[in-house]
Amino acid sequence: MLSLRTWILGLKSLLLHPMRSALTILGIFIGVAGVIWLLAIGEGISQAAQKQIEDLGAENIIVRSIKPPDEAGASVRTVEMFGVSRAEMRTIESTIPTVEQVVPIRELPQKFIYAGNQNATPIDGRLVGCSPAYADVTKLKPARGRFISSRDMATNDSVCVIAAVLARKLFPSEDPLEKPVYLPEKKEYFKVIGVLEPRNATAAIGGSLAAQDFSLDIYIPITTMRAKMGDEEVKRASGSFSRSVFELTQITIEVESPEEVPRTAEVIEATLRMNDPQRQDIAVIVPYELLEQAKATRLMLMVAFGFVAAISLVVGGIGIMNIMLATVTERTREIGIRRALGGKRSDITNQFLVETISLSVVGGIIGVLLGVVFPFLVIGLRWLTYTFAADTYAKLPDIAKTLQPEIVPLSIPLAFSISVIIGVLFGLYPAIRAARMDPIEALRHE
Amino acid sequence: MSSSTETKPKLAAQIRDLTKHYVLKSETVRALRGVSFDVPEGDYVAIMGPSGSGKSTLLNLLGCLDRPTGGSFMLGGDDVAQMSDDDLSGIRASRIGFVFQSYNLIAQLSVVENIEVPLYYMGRLNRESRKKSTELAGMVGLGQRLGHRPTQLSGGQQQRVAIARSLVNDPYFILADEATGNLDSVTTEEILALFQRLNDEGRTIIMVTHEDEVAAHAKRIIRLKDGEVVVDEQIKDRKTYTAEEIEEISKNAHLANQADEEN
Ligand SMILES: Nc1ncnc2c1ncn2[C@@H]1O[C@H](COP(=O)(O)OP(=O)(O)OP(=O)(O)O)[C@@H](O)[C@H]1O
Ligand SMILES: [Mg+2]
Repeated sequence: MLSLRTWILGLKSLLLHPMRSALTILGIFIGVAGVIWLLAIGEGISQAAQKQIEDLGAENIIVRSIKPPDEAGASVRTVEMFGVSRAEMRTIESTIPTVEQVVPIRELPQKFIYAGNQNATPIDGRLVGCSPAYADVTKLKPARGRFISSRDMATNDSVCVIAAVLARKLFPSEDPLEKPVYLPEKKEYFKVIGVLEPRNATAAIGGSLAAQDFSLDIYIPITTMRAKMGDEEVKRASGSFSRSVFELTQITIEVESPEEVPRTAEVIEATLRMNDPQRQDIAVIVPYELLEQAKATRLMLMVAFGFVAAISLVVGGIGIMNIMLATVTERTREIGIRRALGGKRSDITNQFLVETISLSVVGGIIGVLLGVVFPFLVIGLRWLTYTFAADTYAKLPDIAKTLQPEIVPLSIPLAFSISVIIGVLFGLYPAIRAARMDPIEALRHE
Repeated sequence: MSSSTETKPKLAAQIRDLTKHYVLKSETVRALRGVSFDVPEGDYVAIMGPSGSGKSTLLNLLGCLDRPTGGSFMLGGDDVAQMSDDDLSGIRASRIGFVFQSYNLIAQLSVVENIEVPLYYMGRLNRESRKKSTELAGMVGLGQRLGHRPTQLSGGQQQRVAIARSLVNDPYFILADEATGNLDSVTTEEILALFQRLNDEGRTIIMVTHEDEVAAHAKRIIRLKDGEVVVDEQIKDRKTYTAEEIEEISKNAHLANQADEEN
């Protein structure tokens, strides 16, 4: 007899003890909101990670050169070349059929200065030698001008394309296009032919790919770099002196399709380690596999967070059970009266179930509402700290500054139905206990 | 369970050799040891006897709150002794009216809502039944207090609500276990006058009481001792109220209500 009257009666009984009912509801809605929040945080974290990996390109394979650690007492004369070589790059390009194109990259930390303003302090940045395909593979777009062309490559032209942030720093008040940039360490001039659109930094991935910031990059044809600077780098800094020889810092290999990536990566690895399986000066990074890993991690994260949240829901459920047991004892007399006046056991069970379901449904609804506004809450809170407590904000860990919770749509019906199920499950025992009472005993109860 | 609510039998209840044993760990309490009697329709029975003689046990059996250990209890055409728990609930809702010593109204419910409870469990709640409950409240002199809660009523008023409630399902009989036990003499008169009026209208009443004064208002007395019937006889010098007295008593009671109302 789950009639409207039963519900009205249930609500009336709950309203007799508003504080008690409110506290019980609190237990449930914290649980429900907790499920939605934790899943949203988990989703936010893993989406951010996936985005960063996807930025590297799911159909790309990256081979990085790794500088071996300086051996103590190593003679300056016996410096050996390290890293991936141009010959190896050509082998990969020409022998592996699934490889679409290969982009050679050579990176050098450099100081830059605008040639028209030689008195300015040089800016620390990064000189990147690359081929025209670089723009295509990394999905870079020039905001103004153009990227390096194959003609530039062929003629070893001293032209460069600069990153947006660096452009603003080098040319605070002038149009950078056609202006010369001066490299004081190399004593070389490059003419700006393009300015790039701003580009996101990538995070460190595993141990092999450090976080990269592209905001202070200058791109030049790799052929020009080789012709003007060779393969040897000498650094002198206050008494210390270091030499290193390397042909390429990285090659980015674009594969026909993401499905071909794992197999191609194996072949590349085998090719590079053909002569020395133990070589330590290269690392093959496969964003596609990392992506797959990230997806697996996401699942684990969800399960772990979901589990924690579910525990809080169960605690809420125990709260309901506790309250209902007390209520049943307190209302023993009423139960006796209702039984004497013709209430069946099932009527009594329903009456108490209606109350627990009401509690858990109301708790569930409040919890869902609170859960849904969570992302806005995070933004609001961040804004408040940023505006009114800038010092604290600066000290916050990166994750607190950047994390954007992503509500998992499924978590809303999930959390809600779990809360109702918990309400029913934990309400069932007290309700059945109430129904099992002997009416005569119950009537005698004080 | 036959639904013979419309055609009431000539016998409101018939019990034969009714026994009730309570099996405890150390002993078996034989609360009733073979009780037999008939209750014809329109009877007014007072059950008396020393404490522990089995009065409440008998009344609980008559009220279908419990099942006998042996014997039979015919209510209408049905032997209640054999019924399931749910069937007994149905019988309680449709054929029996209870009046308890401690009123036993439900605190969350108003006067009318309390009166309606048996109908609710019969699944017969509708606009007509609300009208009937309101009429019954008026009949017991609480027409002005339909929306009041039990805690806002005096003991006598609460007991009158309970009596109205016991009538709402048009029962075979009304069972009253020490219905006047908690009331003063004036209020007791009030309740007894009400009972007599109901009995005069044809209602069957079975009440348990300790007081000879109260029992004297019944038509018939059954005395129990150690779980057995020792006396079962018509009361010769029955005390009755005249129609004027009933009028007077109920008017006073109504006046008391109205005086309360104005405060
Ligand atoms: N649930 C029970 N378990 C065991 N024994 C019981 C139970 N109910 C009643 N009895 C016993 O049955 C006997 C009859 O009890 P009952 O309550 O019917 O007496 P009573 O005539 O109503 O007495 P009183 O006038 O004091 O109300 C008593 O000896 C009592 O102890
Ligand atoms: Mg008794």
